[in-house]
Amino acid sequence: MHVCTKIAGVLFVFGLLFVSTQAGDEEAARKFEQPILISSAGQSADMKLIGMLAKKQKLDAKAVNMAQVSDLDGIKTLIIVPGFSSKGLGAAGVSQKEEMERVEKLVAAAQEKKIPIVMIHIGGNARRKGQSDAFNKLTAEVAERMIVVQQGDEDGFFSEIAREKKIPITLVEKIAEVATPLGELF
Amino acid sequence: MSKPLMREFVVIAAIMAVVAVSIIPATLSAQTPERAPVVGTQGMAATAHPLASEAAIAMLKKGGNAIDAAVAAAFAIGVVEPDGSGLGGGGGLIIYLNNTQKSYYINYYHQAPMQIDRISYDSEEDRHTAKAVLVPGTVAGLTTALEKFGTLPLAMVMEPAIRYAEEGFAIDATLAQLLLDNTELLMKHPATSEIFLDEGFPKMEGDILRQPELAATLKRIADHGRNGFYTGPVAETLVRENQELGGVLSLDDLHSYKANVTEPLTGTYRGYDIIGANAPQSGSSIIQALNMLENENLAALGHYSESAATLHLMAETFRRVYTDRWSYLGDPNFNYIPLMGLTSKAYARERFSDINRFKADPHDYRDTQPGNPGRYDTRRHQPETIPDARSEDDEEWDDDSDDDGKSSYEEWGEDLFDSWGGKKTKKKQENTVKTKTRKSAKDSLEFFPETEEEFDGHTTHLSVIDKDGNSVALTQTLGTFFGCGITSAGVLLNCGMSNYSKTSNANLVEPGKQPRSSISPTIVLKDGKPFIVVGSPGASRIICAVTELLVNVIDFGMNAEDANWAPRFYCQKYEDYLYIEGGISEDIQEKLKRMGHTIRAYSGRDLFFGGAQLIYVDPETGWYIGSADRRRGGVAIGY
Repeated sequence: MHVCTKIAGVLFVFGLLFVSTQAGDEEAARKFEQPILISSAGQSADMKLIGMLAKKQKLDAKAVNMAQVSDLDGIKTLIIVPGFSSKGLGAAGVSQKEEMERVEKLVAAAQEKKIPIVMIHIGGNARRKGQSDAFNKLTAEVAERMIVVQQGDEDGFFSEIAREKKIPITLVEKIAEVATPLGELF
Repeated sequence: MSKPLMREFVVIAAIMAVVAVSIIPATLSAQTPERAPVVGTQGMAATAHPLASEAAIAMLKKGGNAIDAAVAAAFAIGVVEPDGSGLGGGGGLIIYLNNTQKSYYINYYHQAPMQIDRISYDSEEDRHTAKAVLVPGTVAGLTTALEKFGTLPLAMVMEPAIRYAEEGFAIDATLAQLLLDNTELLMKHPATSEIFLDEGFPKMEGDILRQPELAATLKRIADHGRNGFYTGPVAETLVRENQELGGVLSLDDLHSYKANVTEPLTGTYRGYDIIGANAPQSGSSIIQALNMLENENLAALGHYSESAATLHLMAETFRRVYTDRWSYLGDPNFNYIPLMGLTSKAYARERFSDINRFKADPHDYRDTQPGNPGRYDTRRHQPETIPDARSEDDEEWDDDSDDDGKSSYEEWGEDLFDSWGGKKTKKKQENTVKTKTRKSAKDSLEFFPETEEEFDGHTTHLSVIDKDGNSVALTQTLGTFFGCGITSAGVLLNCGMSNYSKTSNANLVEPGKQPRSSISPTIVLKDGKPFIVVGSPGASRIICAVTELLVNVIDFGMNAEDANWAPRFYCQKYEDYLYIEGGISEDIQEKLKRMGHTIRAYSGRDLFFGGAQLIYVDPETGWYIGSADRRRGGVAIGY
């Protein structure tokens, strides 16, 4: 029974990876364009780290934690970094509800302007469940590409959305490893 | 399923169940609704990290007493929860010795270097610089506690801390989140980045955190006692690096630092004895709040999560308690503090009678006026300085933006002066302490505070009891999470300078003075026996959190876990809102709004409201029942 369970588990994981890889095959080669707007969804400090990685990759990107629709002017790609942080919301002076509304508006405007959205989740377990998942779900479902630090996908949360929505997803082990797939998008 | 397989399944399931009860809840998020009670008869430790609780229990099992266990846990928690406290900070602990029925307070809060007047300090710009560092007190406090009240050698009680620092430990969910939240701070200083970041990015849950330099410093302390920290190479490194970065810490400051062993403050509440932290810590505020609430039958009114009337009365009580605290509390070595008045029943009755039962009054919290506890202070001390009624504290921030420019001191200070019979000596602030202006926030059902520091549920608390009923309630801090962010000799240093006030005479910065602190370790006795050992982190919310916990147990008969997990609220003068945690219904919120309160509601339980560690002693069985707050990673262990 134990072996069967293990095998089933392994097959499930491989299945998910296979499906997402298949979805990715069609889109994986796609190149996104610059300039890039990086924004948070949930006001965690994770966005700043992606800003640093983008800088390291010499990407033409600006990071605006409270990006508004007007910030999309001239933007060719929107990167959203989801993750709830009471501390960040406090610093921004907004409530969770107000933050959700901002993100929804930003996403809607990007879609209307045909600006592709890339979702990057780097917070692992610390930015999963609780109040983070509403932001994670919202932004993952509208993304055209996902990069996720594996720990945040241990339950298949993002892989499942990727499979359902046929969104290419790249899983990496550490935050620092986001740099390479991020750079390869452009 | 075959019998052997079934047996194996049952054994595995049983093991998993035990592990789930004893370990997993500690690391689950604050949203987890259920947790089995932790029961012990020989001892109990409740701390913010399982390894610190284990350290405490290990000492009890070696034959040590509650003081040995608490000191071991306190050293250990500084390693495994490095964000909340450590060698570079300070704190306070209450000891209750059950056989002699005597209690003691050891104040080891950090204090200002003697050359503090030489620096210009901006509470916004300099919080995370060497200028914010005060003389750390943790090592003096813990070694003093052990020397005077412990039974085991220092090296033995420090062994777990040294091992955790040397061999490392797996980062838990709480620390992982705090590393992410505070990455910018941790990046600022190379020695700190080296410890907490991995290729420049925060380490994650499950990663192993090793702190070899801290282990070396801990070993020096284990070998040389307090001198291993306050003299010799560690002290020299701390001073040299602090001064290189613009601080004014000196070897003399370190050499001369002493933890003070004093009597704690005491009070009563509905027949229970309350033992609280002496000034400049906030035991007086807990006692004052309870004294005020004693004037109402809360049990008859109903629990505050189900009764707007109860919550209103408690909120109005807190407003007045915090206002008095900010007006009068400070380092008693530098100011006359009317502690006897603040903790008197008569004064509490007067303050409680000022409460309007039907509406928030005055409507704006910031208009709450201090009372006059000096009138109830029978000691004949001449006040060295008159507290400034206009004062505002910058424990989290200072805010003069709402002042209308008129000093309320002018309006009522004369009366205060007369009642004390003292000389009006309103002290001028000599130091340059700039403060940030607070933004106004919009009303909303969901709220999160407006400054990063104010969100921080920083600090840590641990509660310990041994088989003989000796008890320790200990709270220690680095100021805010990760202190000033500077690591020296492996030690993260405090940002205690931000705990002084710009305008509160009782809490102005002066050389050698300790800042006022919210920390409130508390022990409650019933018929001379320990009944509750409790405390909480959470910055200014500590006072509300501890008081609400005590009310939950004493007035509403809740068990330890229910009392700890009950929703909390927070209200005080220097806020515009009544903060309410998830779990208090919208119906209650609507009623409170109609009474004039402006509500800011959280959608769930949140670390913002504290992370209490509670031990409850069942008066009938004598069993110890522990509860570590699920708002913060932690665990109670009993045996």
